[in-house]
Amino acid sequence: MISLNTVRIDPVPEKRAQRVFEVAGGNFGGRLMVTRRAGRAVREALAEALEGLSENGTLYVDTRGVEMMDYSFADEALGIMASRIAGGEYGDKHLVLVEEERDLLENVEASLRQRSLALIRVNEIGGEPDIVGKIPDHLVDTLKAIYDAGSITNAALAAKLGLNHTACNNRATKLAKLGLIHRRVETAAPGGRQYTYERIA
Amino acid sequence: MDMQLELNVRRRGAMSGVLTLGSLDPAFEAAAHIAGEPVVLDLRGVEFVEPAGICGLAVLLEHLTGRSEEVSLSLSGWNVPAYLERMDFFKIFGGRVRTNADVASLEERERHDPGTLQELINFRTEDEIPGIIERISEILENRGYRLRERVAICSTLSEVCSNAAEHSASPCGAYAAVQAYHHIVSGSRRRGEEVLIAIADGGVGVRETLSRNTKYAEYTVTDNDALRYALKMGVSGTGEVGRGGGLTLVAQIATRSGGSLSLRSGSGRVTAYKNRKSSRIVPNFPGTFVRVSLPRTPAEKKEKDRE
Repeated sequence: MISLNTVRIDPVPEKRAQRVFEVAGGNFGGRLMVTRRAGRAVREALAEALEGLSENGTLYVDTRGVEMMDYSFADEALGIMASRIAGGEYGDKHLVLVEEERDLLENVEASLRQRSLALIRVNEIGGEPDIVGKIPDHLVDTLKAIYDAGSITNAALAAKLGLNHTACNNRATKLAKLGLIHRRVETAAPGGRQYTYERIA
Repeated sequence: MDMQLELNVRRRGAMSGVLTLGSLDPAFEAAAHIAGEPVVLDLRGVEFVEPAGICGLAVLLEHLTGRSEEVSLSLSGWNVPAYLERMDFFKIFGGRVRTNADVASLEERERHDPGTLQELINFRTEDEIPGIIERISEILENRGYRLRERVAICSTLSEVCSNAAEHSASPCGAYAAVQAYHHIVSGSRRRGEEVLIAIADGGVGVRETLSRNTKYAEYTVTDNDALRYALKMGVSGTGEVGRGGGLTLVAQIATRSGGSLSLRSGSGRVTAYKNRKSSRIVPNFPGTFVRVSLPRTPAEKKEKDRE
């Protein structure tokens, strides 16, 4: 796991919708989460919660009450969900995992790595963000810079990372597609477009 | 005349008198040639049954009862019949198999055995698994197993049972049993505790399951090829991304704590240890069998390791 090691400097500019989904709270088996079948039930509930969220909103998936999660469950509930988010099925809605650094994350990590995907994880809502899963090394710095800033324009980010605007935009676009950041488009002076990247947690 | 089925129970060494899956090999072979005649399975040389033995025996009896008009079990002494009774064996097979043991008198005895973590259980579908896990987790918690140990035992059971339910297409479903021992029973006897988990089904086997994925053709030439390949991350019959991680991670959990995971299917047998895998060609097992050994480390030692 790679720590993003951020200090929040600016507050997230727009107040975006937040919703918390407690995995151990529903009728899904409580503390013991096993089998793909159970994972599918949780994923369907997560999909419903995401669909009910307004644009740009973040769904916090809190697994802290879960005692154990096997690989099959983790892959079915979170791996496939992350893959659908990366596939653009949920538009600009985001998912953040709320979980502490513990053994339970191993299976989530293994599933996301298998799929070459990642999720943002926090110890608690408002806590310091981390990555679970895998993103290419060169995107880690970009992600860190965006999270450090809270919100940053493409021009400012490019300057910070020493990249040209196109390369910077390509990297940030990849992160946005993976569902790890929010990308906002603003129309700028004559006919131009300016991108702003924001953290989602 | 009744056909007598012999077993291969060792008379010497650490495994003397132990009913393992290997003990049943000659009987599985003979079972393939039975055409209705009554059979007697001779378990009189058995002094000790481990979960692998009882799960294998269950699959064997499923084969025999389908091929023979009457199956009898010949047992001797008190320990083995009492153990089978405690493991719910007669509850499952009592109505289908005759025995010389006085089951009624065994039932009246004290059933308490702190080592039995899961009696012999028969299951068919994935939705039976969360209930099985719920129950064993509670037993483990009551018996003072630490979270890490409970997770290891429960995830092994849930992943392997899921595989059996999903892929085996076994007409008799699958059988599982879990037992804890106050000494190490796998390999050479040494000090320490060990939990043994066994799951067996009478289904299509690992090679057939993986062969459904045509891109695995070169890895599924023999049963041993298929078993070794099945232990690799991301290898599954469906070939979907994200699949085929359960068994690999379960093997990792077992081997990193000094335990092992053995697979048998068809003529293959592969055992994964910490730094190596061993494979052998063995007599045919008509289905898939998984045995996992999880040694228990005393709590104080764990603390030291962490320092």
